[in-house]
Parts: sequence; structure tokens; C-alpha cells
Amino acid sequence: MIEALWQNIDYVASVLLFCIGLYAMITKSNLIKKFIGLNIMETSVFAFIVALGVVEGGDAPIMGVGASPPFINPLPQSLILTGIVVAVSTTALALSLIIRIHKQCGTIEADELREME
Amino acid sequence: MVVLAPLVGAVLTPIVARRDRRVAPWWALGVMSVTSVAAVALMVRVAQEGPFSYYMSGWVPPIGIEFRFDEVSAFIGVVCLVGWLAVLYSFRYIEWLRGLEKPRIPYYYTLLLLNLAGIIGISITGDLFNLFVFLEIVSLSGYALVAVSGERIADMAAFKYLLIGAVSSLLVLLGIGLVYALTGSLNMADVSARLADAPARPLAVAIGAFTVGFMVKAAIFPLHIWLPDAHAIAPSPVSAVLSGLVVKVGIIGMLRIYQIVYGSGAVDMNGLNQVLMWLGAISIVMGAFFAVFQDDIKMMLAYSTISNIGYIVMGLGLASSFGVIGASIHVFNHALIKATLFFGAGALIFRTGKRTLSELAGVGRSMPLTAAAMSIGAISIVGIPPTAGFLCKWYIALGAVQAEQPFFAFALVFGALFIFIYYIRMVNAFYFRPPVDPEILAVKEAPASMLVPILVLAALCLIMGVLGRLPLTFIEPAVTRLLSTAGGG
Repeated sequence: MIEALWQNIDYVASVLLFCIGLYAMITKSNLIKKFIGLNIMETSVFAFIVALGVVEGGDAPIMGVGASPPFINPLPQSLILTGIVVAVSTTALALSLIIRIHKQCGTIEADELREME
Repeated sequence: MVVLAPLVGAVLTPIVARRDRRVAPWWALGVMSVTSVAAVALMVRVAQEGPFSYYMSGWVPPIGIEFRFDEVSAFIGVVCLVGWLAVLYSFRYIEWLRGLEKPRIPYYYTLLLLNLAGIIGISITGDLFNLFVFLEIVSLSGYALVAVSGERIADMAAFKYLLIGAVSSLLVLLGIGLVYALTGSLNMADVSARLADAPARPLAVAIGAFTVGFMVKAAIFPLHIWLPDAHAIAPSPVSAVLSGLVVKVGIIGMLRIYQIVYGSGAVDMNGLNQVLMWLGAISIVMGAFFAVFQDDIKMMLAYSTISNIGYIVMGLGLASSFGVIGASIHVFNHALIKATLFFGAGALIFRTGKRTLSELAGVGRSMPLTAAAMSIGAISIVGIPPTAGFLCKWYIALGAVQAEQPFFAFALVFGALFIFIYYIRMVNAFYFRPPVDPEILAVKEAPASMLVPILVLAALCLIMGVLGRLPLTFIEPAVTRLLSTAGGG
């Protein structure tokens, strides 16, 4: 059991990160902290998918002089590049929403906001 | 073409409208018209020849990206119709909104077009990662659209929607990652073929991630908490799109996953079906229960969406042919009905400035056409025979009996009774209660650009009830194919 976990340390790490992010998102009342929690979760999923493509001793899959197999799998990386773009736009939108909330209500603590409603 | 038109159109909107922002709505309407024509052409081809595929830039799958048109994709027909009407409806409504400064109106149309493009993309994509990308297009533009209205708690509602929506998208991405790890492919058909010899347990985790992710998007109890605020606060045309179309994205996603997994027969889906059935039943009753206590008309409609999505999911979970057929038709019909109701509610708010049922009492006398259309919508959603809602609920009930689960047929009827109660309250308020505010009798009927969408959709609610066989002929082969691959499931 322990050995199996150790062999898949990269996956274990991403699951742990996921849980940390989820914890932060649920327990923190500051909206920015909640959002950082979400970002940690995003990163963990990205790390998980990139780790799928790793080949032991592989090179970057760039064709050219001196390129020789084995290469690591480039597909997950390109997928995650797209994923990161999505995450950036989510972050931008969320931060601008937080700014507007702060302008309107003067606070970004979730519990204080709930009282105002 | 059908995806590219709104996508490119959306990006170009602010540029086109730079000189004169009054061009923006017409431009958006034009873009949607082109899209609709393309969509109709595609649907005709599906009806005649059956499913077909288009490969991006000529690469053949599994390497290339595939767009696949089949019966599920026929959803784009409704998307185009409701989308077109929503753009038309926005002409006056958006101008009137306080929270939106006039120079920024073109951006509103950009978001709306992007949102519709994403929904169309999801309905026709044949590639898992593409599914995720389109899902994010829909979600991100959706969050922004909720915040547009400028109501006091709009930003808070949008932020709540964003947090929960982002987590659900992540879960979908995690599921895609797991499936890729198991099969080494992202093309749906290819994945389905390769899943047969994948280990069952990680696959179950992947399916779980997909299910939870899509269920958040579809707002199934207990993952519905974001929906009422977001849908009630958004501007009315946006509410119609969100409620009629965007929540269906979760259902379409589920259907796609079912297609993949049934096709491979790798995992026994019965456990999941049980869960879906129960959650569907709970959603129906809980959604209807909360709706009864709402005084805000849009809040009530939002809760009613939850209970209607419950019907759809229950139909899927029953996994009997009638149940799935009923669920698929309800995806179409609920889009029409709920768009009618939200457009109508928007028109009432536009003219009277009031949004609670008690303040709106007596409005049926001053806005007869809108109130009549909304009453048709209400009758239709309860499922009284000559209207669209009856057919789907009848089929889902038949499905419950067919699957030897009479309890769920009972839940369905029980839910319909609840729904009946709160829509009766609405109709009662429109016509029979004396007006609280005498001004309500003086308001004018909604302007033509708002009245036309409302009346067209209300008419469709009736027509779809009478011509119920039309969508059936379309959906039946798809359902039969889905269930036959499940090995008699």
C-alpha cells in the first residue's frame, strides 16, 4: 500500500493539493482566499494531467538536430496550456467581480456580506 | 460553420459597433440568423442520412478533432431559436437596464453570442477535451452575463455561480484526464472502443467526476444552491438562455458520457442510474416545494427549473426506453416553456418595475397578451394535455412504470401537483386578485420586440403539444441505439 503510494507520488501530491484547495474554498470567508483555494485546486488537476504524460528519461518533444526518442507525451501539456488559459480568464473575471462587490458593499468577507443581504 | 459563425461574430461585435453602438443588436441578430440557417441545414441532413462527422482541417480521428452531428445535436435547433429570440428581446430590455452603461452594450451581445456558440459547440463536439473548452466558454460568459444586470446582489450571485461552476468544470477536466490516462485517446468514439479493457475502478472514479461535474451544471439537488440567485438576478433574456439552455449543457454532457460508457460496456451503470433516479425525484419535489414559497416571480421560475431538471434526470436514470425518450423531449420542451415564462416575466418587470407576485396582481388586465402567453407556459409546464409539457411527463411516467418503479411515477405526479399549485398562484395573481397598486392597470402592453418572442414561444408550446410526434421521430432512433448498446439495460 505505502509502496504503491510512493511509486505514484505525483498523483498523491495532486490529490493532496486538491484537498487543500477544497478546504480553503469551503472554510475561508474572505472571497479572495476562497478564490486562491480554487486556484490551488485548478493547479492540482493541471499537475495531475501533465504528470500523465511523463516518460522516464524522456526528452522534450521538439524535432530538430539531435532529437532522439524517447520523448515525453506532448498532448497533455498542450491540453493543459489551454486549461491554464481558461484558468487565467476565470481568475480575471473573479477578481473583477470581487472588486465590484467591494465597491458596492464595502467588504469581501462572505459572512458580513450574508448579513447585509 | 455553425459554431464558427457566432464565435467569430461575437468577437467582431465591439469592433462593428465602435462607430455606432446601435448597430450591435442588428449585427447579433444577423449572426444568429446565419447560424440558424446553418443549423437547420445540418438537422435536415441528420434527419435524412443519420449521424455524420466533420473533421477539423482534414485530420482523421483519433488524431484530429471531430465534430459529430447526431440526434443529440438536434438540440442546436432549439438553441438557435431561443438564442435568436433572446437577441431580439434584448433590443429594448438591455437599453432599459440601469446597471449597464450604454457604451458597453455591444459587449453584452458579445457575451450572449459567445454563450450560444459554446452551447452549440458542446452539442456537436465529438472530442472530450473540446467538450471541456466549450463548457468553459459557456460557463465564463454565463458568469459575466449574470453580473450584467447591476442589481445589488448580482455580483455576489455571479461570484457564487463562478466558484461552484469552476469546481464543476475542474471535476469534468479531472474526469477527462482520467479517461485519457486509461485509454490514451480523447475522441469519444475511440474512447468508447478502447474502454472495454480498462480497469473498472479508476473508470468508476472518472465517471463519478463527470457525473458530479455535470450535475452541478445541471443544478441537481443537492448541487443546486447557485441556481436560484443567479437565474433570478440575471437580466430576463439571459435568464431565459441560462435556464432554458445552459443547464441543459449538463444533461447533454451526461448523455455523451452515457453514450461512451454504454458503447463499451466496461462498467455496470445500474448503481449510477439508481442515484440519478433518486436525486431526480428529490429535485422535483424540493424545487417545487421551494417554488411554492417564493413571491418573487423570477425566483419562482428559477426553482421551477430545478424541479424540471429533476424530471429530465429521473427520466435518464430510469434507463427504460420511454423514460429516456421523455427526458430527451423534455430537454427541448422545457427550453421552449421556460424561455416563454422568463421572457414574459421580463416583460412584466420591464413595464411595471415590480417583480413580486403580490405587487403584480391584476396585471392580466393591462397586459393581456403577455399574461395569456405566460398562462399557456404555466399550463404547459404543469403538463395539462394539449400542451408541450404533457407529452414528456407522460413519457417519463410511462418509463417509470416500464422500469417497474411505480414509486417514481408517483413522485412525478406529486411534483406536478406542487408545480400546479404555484403556477395557479401566478395565474390567479394575474387575473383574479384585485390590483394592490392602481398604477398597474395603466401600464401598456410590452413593446413589439419583446412581445414577438413571447408569443412565438407560447405558440410553440401549444404546437409542440399537438405535433408531439415530430421530435419523437427524431429522438427515438437515438434512444434505441443508446439503449441497445447497453445490452438490454
